Amino acid sequence: MSNKVAIIAANGGLFDAYKVFNIATAAAASEKEVEIFFTFEGLNLIHKQGMHALDMPAGKEHFAEGFAKAQVPTVPQLVEMAQELGVKFVACQMTMDVMGLTKEDFVDGIEVGGAVTFLEYAKDAAPTLTF
Amino acid sequence: MNITQTLDAKGLACPMPIVRTKKAIDTINSGEVLEVLVTDKGALNDFTAWAKAGGHTILEQKEEAGVLYFYIQKA
Repeated sequence: MSNKVAIIAANGGLFDAYKVFNIATAAAASEKEVEIFFTFEGLNLIHKQGMHALDMPAGKEHFAEGFAKAQVPTVPQLVEMAQELGVKFVACQMTMDVMGLTKEDFVDGIEVGGAVTFLEYAKDAAPTLTF
Repeated sequence: MNITQTLDAKGLACPMPIVRTKKAIDTINSGEVLEVLVTDKGALNDFTAWAKAGGHTILEQKEEAGVLYFYIQKA
């Protein structure tokens, strides 16, 4: 049985952040090795400024109240927690080049890599998830 | 039952009860018992799965006044 979980984060909205980090932190807290590959809009989720102001999907803004009521942690809190639990963040080099971003634009402790880096990690991971 | 530590995770939403429990269990020794209080209904299944993943044993679980109590013996 594989003890590795591989996640691709390819979208950058608030809901996407919760989908990615909830699964990642839950897996890490259950003794799994976890790596997230952030590509395209997914880079928002670990962008130093961007992660503080992720958008709700259009027309779903009313869920803000539900988030507050359910005492859900904020995205930056989840990012910190994931890193504390040993979740590895890999930012996609190609997307960063396209968007004119550097490693310094992101939270500390990330790695930068390409598609092959992720594929090599994910080849014996189960499950591999895409958000 | 000898309870070594109690974790109050009431009011917290997924994945926080599991994350806090993981951190708490890291601070006790093998064979010792952690008591966890949660109100997140998803915890009922999550704790069973989580304990299985880590090889821990849930000695007892109960519900009182909307609060779930778990007694987890560390592997």
